[in-house]
Amino acid sequence: MPIIELTEVSKLYGFGDATAVALDEVSLTVESGEFVAVMGPSGSGKSTLMNIIGLLDRPTHGNYKLNGRKVERLRPSRQAKARRDTIGFVFQSFNLLPKLNVLDNVALPLTYKGMGRVKRQKRASEILDRVGLADREYFMPRQLSGGQTQRVAIARALINNPNIIIADEPTGNLDSASSRLVMELLSDVHKAGNTILMVTHNPELTRYASRVVFMHDGVIVADEQSTIGEVHQSLRRSMYFMPKTTEEDDLAGVSALMQAIPEKLTGKKKAAKDKKKPKNAKTKYKAGANAKKRGKKS
Amino acid sequence: MIGRSGNLRIAIEALRSSKWRSLLTMLGIIIGVVSVVTTVSLGEGAKRGVISQIEQSGADLITVRPGITENNDNKTSGLVGSNYNGTLSNRDLEVIRKVPGAYSVVPFSYVANTASQEDVIFNKGLVIGTTGGLPQVLGQKMQYGTFFKEDEPQRDTAVIGQRVAEQLFGENVPIGKFMTIRGKQFMVQGIFEEFDTSALVPGTDYNYAIFVQYDTGKELTGDSDIYQILVRPKKDVGSSVLAADITKALQKSHANQEDFTVLEQKDKLAEANNLLTLMTGFVASIAGISLVVGGIGILNIMLVAVTERTHEIGIRKAIGATNKQILNQFMTEAVILSSVGGVIGIIMSLLTNYLFRIFTDLTPILTWPIMAIAFGVSVLVGIIFGVTPALTAARKRPIDALRYE
Repeated sequence: MPIIELTEVSKLYGFGDATAVALDEVSLTVESGEFVAVMGPSGSGKSTLMNIIGLLDRPTHGNYKLNGRKVERLRPSRQAKARRDTIGFVFQSFNLLPKLNVLDNVALPLTYKGMGRVKRQKRASEILDRVGLADREYFMPRQLSGGQTQRVAIARALINNPNIIIADEPTGNLDSASSRLVMELLSDVHKAGNTILMVTHNPELTRYASRVVFMHDGVIVADEQSTIGEVHQSLRRSMYFMPKTTEEDDLAGVSALMQAIPEKLTGKKKAAKDKKKPKNAKTKYKAGANAKKRGKKS
Repeated sequence: MIGRSGNLRIAIEALRSSKWRSLLTMLGIIIGVVSVVTTVSLGEGAKRGVISQIEQSGADLITVRPGITENNDNKTSGLVGSNYNGTLSNRDLEVIRKVPGAYSVVPFSYVANTASQEDVIFNKGLVIGTTGGLPQVLGQKMQYGTFFKEDEPQRDTAVIGQRVAEQLFGENVPIGKFMTIRGKQFMVQGIFEEFDTSALVPGTDYNYAIFVQYDTGKELTGDSDIYQILVRPKKDVGSSVLAADITKALQKSHANQEDFTVLEQKDKLAEANNLLTLMTGFVASIAGISLVVGGIGILNIMLVAVTERTHEIGIRKAIGATNKQILNQFMTEAVILSSVGGVIGIIMSLLTNYLFRIFTDLTPILTWPIMAIAFGVSVLVGIIFGVTPALTAARKRPIDALRYE
C-alpha cells in the first residue's frame, strides 16, 4: 500500500478572473521508504504540493490518501495528530521557536502528545545526540549557526518517529559545507527506513534521492527513478555547465568554483539549455560567495 | 487546562518577555478589583456597624409611633413627625403600660429644638421629654451624673448627650450649668456616654439630644402628643409576642382603627440591612464597570499577542498542536493575566482597607468570602475576554499562520 496517494489534486487561489492555479490535477503515489526529490522553477507548485501532503493546506479538488486513509474526511484535530505522529517538517527557514532553548524546541512535538517533561527531555536529548548536537542542548536558537539550526529542526522532525519527512528546501539557507552535513543526516534517516520528500533547486542534491519529480506550472512534467549516489541523468546535461566538484570543493562550498564562470555566460547558457532552473545559478553563486567569505574569516 | 503540555510555563514566559505590557494590562483588572472590593468591604463595615448599634440598644426593643403608612420605606424613618396621620396620647401610654409583657415603657415627646446658654445657641438637636426608664430601655449608661428617677418630683433639670456638652457648653462635664429652653432655665444633671452611631443608620442621633422630664416638657409646650413610645419586654417575653399584644391593646383603645405603627427592632435591622445591601450593590456595580474595562484591556492585548505570534502558532500547528491545545495556550495566558491582576488587586485592597481605618472613621471589613469572590470574578473576566483571541488563534489555518511574518 502506498504511503501517499494523490489523485488529481488541484489547488486554486482566488476567484473568477483572478483565479491562479497552483496545482493542476496532480496525481502522485509515493511508496514507503522512497526518497523523492521534487524539482522545478519557483512558482511551479512544489511547496503547495508539500503543504498539501503535509496536511498544512487542503486541496481545492481531488483526493489525498495518507496511509490509505482519506484525509479530507479527517477533522482538524485528527489532522493535527497526523502531523504530529506521522509527518516531520524541515523548513528552509528552520522555524524554531526563538524563545525556547534547543532541547525544548526538539521536545515540543512530544509536549503536544502529552508526554511528561522529564521523559520528553530525555528523548530530545537522545535525538540531539544522534544529529551531533549533544553539546548544544541549552543553547538558544539564535546562538547556533545555520547548519546547526537546521540539524536541530531535523531532530525536532524526527522525535516522534514519523514515517514521512517533508523537507522544503532544507539547504536553501545554508552554505555548502552545512548543506552537505544536513543532507548526510537526511540520507541516514532515509536509510533507517523513513520516507522523505524534499524540494530542492540544486541538482547536486538529487544524488541522495531514489526518485526525482519535476514540476512546472503546477503539473508534474517528469517523474523518474534515480540511483542513489548519482546525480539524476537528465540533470547531468546541465551539470556540464557546472564545474566538477571534488571533496575539497565540497568542504569549501559545493559551488565555490561557480565564481570562476562569468555570470553572464552562465545565465545565458542556462536560459537556453535548461528552462527548468533559471534561478539555480543565482542561488549557487550566492552560496559559493558565502562559503568564500566564511573561509576568509576563519 | 494546564496539564502536561506546559502551557503554564509557555504563558509565563510569554508574559515575562513583555513585562510592561503585561503589567499595564493587569492594571485594569487591579483597579477594577480594588474598587469593587473596597466598596463592598466599606458596605460590609457599615452593615456591621448598624447591626451592632441596633443590637446594643436592644434587639428586643419595640417602638410605637403614631400614624401608619402603607409605604414600608417610611416605617423606619427616624425623622420626627414625618408621618403624623394619627396620634398617640397619654391614654395610649397607660394602655401599653398595662400590657402584661411590657417591662418598661418610655414615651418621647417633642419639646423644642433650640437651647441656649449665654450667647451660644444650640439648634442641631432636639429637646425630648421622657421618663426615668430611658437609660434602661436604650441600654445606655451615664458617663457623668444621673438620669431622672421614675416617680421623681418634677424638677427643671436636663440630661444631655456628649455633642451637646461639647457644642453648647464647650466642655466635657458641664454638670450644674444652666441652659435656656423656651425661656426656662434648666440645669444639667447628667451626661450620657457616647451613643454609637454611624451616618448610615436610620434614626435619631441621641448624642445631640437634650432630655427633660416628660411632665416638664408637657408643661412647657402645653401639648400631650407623643411621637414615639419605646417598650422593652420582660425577660421571658419575646418581642414579637409583645408587639402583637401591644397592637391588639391599642387597636381596642382606638376603636379598632389602626392609626399607629408598632415596630420591632429586627424590622429596623432588616430594613437597614436591605438599604445598605442595595446601596453597596449599586456602588459596587458601578465600580464593576472598571473590571469590565480591565477585561477589555485583556481582550485587546491578547488580540495583539495572537497577531504578533501568528508565525509561532503556525510552527506549533505544523508540528502537531491541535486547535484545542492552541486555544488552551492563549486562554492560560489571558487567565494568568487576569488572576494575577486579581491577586494584586486583593492585596492592594487590604492596603486600602488599612489606610481607610487609619485616616477615616470608616471601618471597612474585608472577609475571606469577599476576597474569594473577587478572585473568582477576575478569573472569570480572563476567561470571558480571553475566549475570542484564543479562538482566533486556534482557528488560524496552519499554512497561513506559517507564512505570516
